[in-house]
Amino acid sequence: MASGEVVLQIEGLTKVYRSLFTPVGVKAVDDLNLSVRRGETYSVVGPNGSGKTTTLKILLGLIFPTAGTASIFGKDIADLSVREQIGFLPEDAYLYDVFNGEELLDFYAGLFGFSRQRRRELTDELLSLVGMQANRKVPFRECSKGMRQRLALAQALVNDPELLILDEPTSGLDPAGRQQMTRLILELKRRGKTILLCSHFLAEVEEVCDRVGIMYRGRLVAEGTLGELAGAPTEIIIATSGLGADKTEQLAGHAAVLGIEDGIVRMGHEAGEELWSVLEAIHRAGGTILEVSRPRPSLQDVFVKAIRQDTSEEAQ
Amino acid sequence: MTPQLAFLIGLFIVVVVLLLTRKQWAPALIHAVPSIWRIAKITVAEARRRRVIQAVVILVVLILISMTFFSYLSPQEQSRMLISGGLAAITVFGILLAIFIAAFLIPQELDDRTVYAILAKPVRRFEFVVGKYIGALIILAAIVVTMTVVLIGVLLIQNQFVQDLPDSAFNPNLKGVVFAAVMNYFAIAVLTALIVLISTVASTTMTVVSAFIIWAVGSLQSTISDLAAHAEIPVTKALLTIAYIIVPKLENFDFRHEVSNFVPVSYTAAWNPLIQGVGYIVVVMILASIFFNDRQV
Repeated sequence: MASGEVVLQIEGLTKVYRSLFTPVGVKAVDDLNLSVRRGETYSVVGPNGSGKTTTLKILLGLIFPTAGTASIFGKDIADLSVREQIGFLPEDAYLYDVFNGEELLDFYAGLFGFSRQRRRELTDELLSLVGMQANRKVPFRECSKGMRQRLALAQALVNDPELLILDEPTSGLDPAGRQQMTRLILELKRRGKTILLCSHFLAEVEEVCDRVGIMYRGRLVAEGTLGELAGAPTEIIIATSGLGADKTEQLAGHAAVLGIEDGIVRMGHEAGEELWSVLEAIHRAGGTILEVSRPRPSLQDVFVKAIRQDTSEEAQ
Repeated sequence: MTPQLAFLIGLFIVVVVLLLTRKQWAPALIHAVPSIWRIAKITVAEARRRRVIQAVVILVVLILISMTFFSYLSPQEQSRMLISGGLAAITVFGILLAIFIAAFLIPQELDDRTVYAILAKPVRRFEFVVGKYIGALIILAAIVVTMTVVLIGVLLIQNQFVQDLPDSAFNPNLKGVVFAAVMNYFAIAVLTALIVLISTVASTTMTVVSAFIIWAVGSLQSTISDLAAHAEIPVTKALLTIAYIIVPKLENFDFRHEVSNFVPVSYTAAWNPLIQGVGYIVVVMILASIFFNDRQV
């Protein structure tokens, strides 16, 4: 559960890529402000090229910002001790392909100075956590995409980090692999890890995240909990069957009904007593009520809306 | 002031600066040693599993063994040919392997993006660069030792054969062969450091091309010095002089001629290039670490 303590703070972060051919530069990240609280799972979503990975690379000290600051656990990201509390899962699991899972985990654990005994224990624990115990001797290059991704997650956990940075953890995985990875992320969340996740798989984000930031063209165009971003439900939907054409017309005349199409009755979301009277009317008309729901806009709807809004604002 | 004196003064200044600032870097160095060692170990382990290196070493071993087939030569000629050819093979293949191992050492990590998972851990960039370099040195040491042992084996076997001949003068001069091979390894170590430095700022192709040029210039330093002395165009003179000062004098590590011609080798003559070589490596690795520290990966 997220507490008030801010673990990751980004202020005015800007990254401009300049080259000989583009002296003006390409703005990959533009004045980004963002904060993640302890125990929270925060997801940065956005289309390809929106600056998500660039932001992560800045946080890990792989590239350097043009402007702005970022701190993790109150320390500047340039401070090496910060990385003792971070675990990073790179996109596409870039690990040495000639080694097997056991050797890889032993190597990465060794970079934290753990003893041989501790490394052995960690290797066993992590391999069983990610479900790779049986395949511990399989060379990385012979592993399936899902196995690689799980091993990459295991190497991110060797130091039992407080903050996990996951870059597209389910990218390229089949549905079963994606589900497995999502389960692992939920397990880590349950263990109290703070997670910063970059993804463009919105379904996965909806499943695991507490808060979402939508990035587009290097900027954070919307941020909040899923509920805040989606807003209140706008309609009540009643799915029915067995309503004849005459009964449908009769029902459409009801004051609270916004419309009926293919057996789907739409009502205003603030309908109270009217809902019961409509349900009764459907029942009297011989229809069967299949489902009554108050759907919120999906993250995908919110995402598309935020991007459209940003694009139209820029055009103006 | 001779270039050697200038170099030694420079080295002295670096050592003094390092001693005066030891409180700043010594704790970091103590923390760095385990990380450097682990990166070196994984570099070696990775190279051991790459088939290309093994194939080249096997090729050199076969070349060395095949040199025993020249039985029509006199024993002394055969000995000279074996030592000279064997050491030449060790030098050429050692340098070629050094170029190809060192040129890909860091760029490969960047291309494969394996560097991400390492630098996201508490590993300083200089630890990564030095670890990769030490790993390369261990691999190259293993290769040079293997080739030298095979050459010595070939010489010993050949010695057994020619001993039965009348007035045999085979004289394998094993001590000299080992000495020449060790000096050859130091030349490889210096060149490897320079290649690692170039690879921190240039592309792989550029690094490989530069490495071959440096090898050529470094092996012809006395010729470069002569050309610089006799050059009439100021720009040419300046460029040759700069090349003479900057590029390591690899030919100073080459004792092949003395050993194969049975000229008594003065082992003390090795001190000068060895000290210069170690100083060169230290300076080059500091520069490589500084450049890689600023590199966006």
